[in-house]
Amino acid sequence: MKTILQAENVEKVYRVGSMDVAALRGVSLDLEEGEFLAIMGPSGCGKSTLLHLLGGLLTPSSGRIVIDGEDLTAASDAKRTDIRRRKIGFVFQRFNLFPTLTAEGNLRLAERIHAGGANGGEDSGERRREVLSLLKLEDKMHHKPLELSGGEQQRVALARAIVNRPAIILADEPTGNLDSENSAIVLNMFQEMNYRFNQTIIMITHNPEAAAMCRRIVQMRDGQIVAPNTGLQV
Amino acid sequence: MDSLVANNIRQRPLRALVSIAGVALGVCLVMLFTGLSRGMSNDLQRRSSSVLAEIYFTRPGGMELTTSTANLSVKYAEELSKIEGVQSAVPVIRYIFQGGRGFGFEQVQGVDWEPYAAMNDLKLVAGRAPAAADEIIIDEAKARNGNLSVGSTLALFGGKPYRITGIYSPEAEARVKMSLAAMQDALEAPGKCSYILVKTKDGVDPLAVVRRIEAQPSTQGNKIQLTRDIITNIEKTIPYLGVFLRALVGLSAVVSGLVVMLAMYTTITERTREIGMLKALGASRGYIVSVIEREAFVISLLGLVAGFVVSFVAGFLINRAYGLLFEYGWRWALVAALIGVGGGVLGALYPAVRAANLDPVNALAHE
Ligand SMILES: Nc1ncnc2c1ncn2[C@@H]1O[C@H](COP(=O)(O)OP(=O)(O)O)[C@@H](O)[C@H]1O
Ligand SMILES: [Mg+2]
Repeated sequence: MKTILQAENVEKVYRVGSMDVAALRGVSLDLEEGEFLAIMGPSGCGKSTLLHLLGGLLTPSSGRIVIDGEDLTAASDAKRTDIRRRKIGFVFQRFNLFPTLTAEGNLRLAERIHAGGANGGEDSGERRREVLSLLKLEDKMHHKPLELSGGEQQRVALARAIVNRPAIILADEPTGNLDSENSAIVLNMFQEMNYRFNQTIIMITHNPEAAAMCRRIVQMRDGQIVAPNTGLQV
Repeated sequence: MDSLVANNIRQRPLRALVSIAGVALGVCLVMLFTGLSRGMSNDLQRRSSSVLAEIYFTRPGGMELTTSTANLSVKYAEELSKIEGVQSAVPVIRYIFQGGRGFGFEQVQGVDWEPYAAMNDLKLVAGRAPAAADEIIIDEAKARNGNLSVGSTLALFGGKPYRITGIYSPEAEARVKMSLAAMQDALEAPGKCSYILVKTKDGVDPLAVVRRIEAQPSTQGNKIQLTRDIITNIEKTIPYLGVFLRALVGLSAVVSGLVVMLAMYTTITERTREIGMLKALGASRGYIVSVIEREAFVISLLGLVAGFVVSFVAGFLINRAYGLLFEYGWRWALVAALIGVGGGVLGALYPAVRAANLDPVNALAHE
């Protein structure tokens, strides 16, 4: 099995005025290809901070993060952006779709950025359609986010994250804004992507049922992992 | 074409329109002012160049573009026509006054029609020459622009009515002419004129005639100029025009730049979260700068097109209403284009770089 992610003793201190807030106090984590990992823990324990660090949106105060063989911590800002472009797909609680673009347009923009900004002529859009149909969004392709329900928006966000086949998908409470019915649909889709494409996923969640769908759960508290759990049990 | 750019513009049509109007304003300023200055100067030049007399004989100060003096005795005409090589000498009064509609200035000439027409090869195309003190003739352009014909009246000198007795062609010097006596009467300057036109005989070198006039004791103390020198001097008669136009171009660039800068600045403030999303997707700084700059470019380009259209329409309407001539040159159009687009793209640079430097996590947390 291939190791997709290694985090070694990662610390993150935020500076607020003259105060230091230690958000992460030495987190280590390894992830194999194809894993579906849930991170749980009370609000403010550092889950989002960890996810942002893993995706290169933040730099750690100390420690080391290696994604698919590339060291994020040693990289410049531009290099980190580049690694993110090639290796990471984000899904957020607030969906974060481009409101002026259709579902397909959102995917196309992600593809274009993934291709390094090149227009790349007229692509067939085959992959977009495949992903959208897997997520049961074919008939919503030309809808803009505001014309979609929350569950549909989050499925588009997942489609956008996966369309470039990233090494890891990082999802921060993807069902936090959804009712239980839509949560179940979206979680099923995550599971489906993990199963069908052997897609590696890290998902922050408060929902024990959501966590139960994952093969592995990590508990955090006060900036530390308290219960690294490799089994399926909660 | 990136649909993100097009959709962003469509998203805020009013703001896009305002910034387009801002760029258009700058372009219009450049186009209208340079067009007007070119049009006026070409018009003056055309009308002066149809004067066939080779020599202007004046008193010093009598040939400034904006002064109207009748300080030269008409008796010099007699002296001049006696000089060897001179075919004819015709005294002229030029009177310049503020245009009837308060913009620019207009000229009226007092000159005896027959000798002037014979000297400069002019023809009456309608009516007859003016004779009485309240009669004038006008050229075809004046008739066309003012919708005037033989028998119409025209108010000059602040309201005094004059009757049009004829229309002549081609255009030469002032578009409105009356008899020398009538003009002397109106200005209370009997026996005086502004300048005397001197035409030399065929085959005689005008310079030789100039030297002979200078040598003549009875014409001393006056100024002698060649017509061809006066024509090239028209550009220089409004001495600060060039400086003024350059200042105007600079100001237009600043207007375009500021308007687009402000528009793009509000855009990125409003779309901070979208910039965070672009960053989360792995968009480089360069890509984010290019998204903002392309939007600014499209806005500037639309402003440019709008500016050109408005300039042409406005030029046409002002010409219809006031008779002012606009002539647009390719060089100034190019300058206006560079100003509009360059100003816009440069103005957008600051907001674009600012957007590219946003912290992604903060940007995503925006709102
Ligand atoms: N930008 C920031 N500046 C200062 N403190 C922050 C910032 N972001 C997060 N924190 C603090 O770091 C801690 C962890 O936050 P976060 O990672 O968002 O937790 P979680 O996602 O588990 O709720 C909290 O105490 C929070 O207040
Ligand atoms: Mg959080």
